[in-house]
Amino acid sequence: MKTEIKHADKCTTIFVSGSVDALTAAELGKNVAAQIARDHVNLIMDLSGLEFMSSAGLRTLLGAVKETRSHGGDLRIVSTNPGIDKVLKMSGFHNIAKVFTSQAEAAASFE
Amino acid sequence: MTPTHRITRAAQLESLDDFRRFLKEHCAPHAGITAEILYDLQLAVDEACTNIITHGYAGMDPGSIILDLEIDASKIGISITDFGHAFEPKSAPTPDVDASIEEREFGGFGLFFIQQTMDEMNYRTTEDGNTMLLTKHIIIPTGD
Repeated sequence: MKTEIKHADKCTTIFVSGSVDALTAAELGKNVAAQIARDHVNLIMDLSGLEFMSSAGLRTLLGAVKETRSHGGDLRIVSTNPGIDKVLKMSGFHNIAKVFTSQAEAAASFE
Repeated sequence: MTPTHRITRAAQLESLDDFRRFLKEHCAPHAGITAEILYDLQLAVDEACTNIITHGYAGMDPGSIILDLEIDASKIGISITDFGHAFEPKSAPTPDVDASIEEREFGGFGLFFIQQTMDEMNYRTTEDGNTMLLTKHIIIPTGD
């Protein structure tokens, strides 16, 4: 798994690539915690470059949504991989967090 | 007899990537195994192996996980064998996917995802270890 951070005026995007499984999910959680610690609480997790995510990754996303909201922000998702979409849908993730199909839409939602 | 492909790896999280690559490599030559079916297989195997690594071998010296794969004209069969503590599929909680974020439990999705993505799941424990058998139905085009 690799992450890349990009800051904009209204939000910070974490681009995630590779795989988020039980081995790598904790590292993703640390990435989120590091942003929140620097008061970047409006986050976009862009999963469009991600190849695989298991329930371990989903748990990290759920935790990140809770954490950002408890600090007055939000975490929104960009997902274009059908397999990852299925994981999000099976778990009911769409009911608790906003999921977009493009970075532009996700960024606009914070305007 | 349908040929069986096998991979044996140590029961550690670093092996998860090897299992996913193994599935990709052996499913790639089959036109009927779409990207969606491959993702389902990788997800089910990843969740089953994660359970074995984190719970099955808990408190024991880490052993091994044996993954067998059989592909025929109508289905994919996977068996996952370990030598750790037996798992009780019936005792695992079912996650509430309609719960609000405040009520959300963060665990319990592993077995649920296996059940959602596979057509059949069986589990047996013998003196020779624990084996989870997974079946996924497919339609492979026969061609002209």
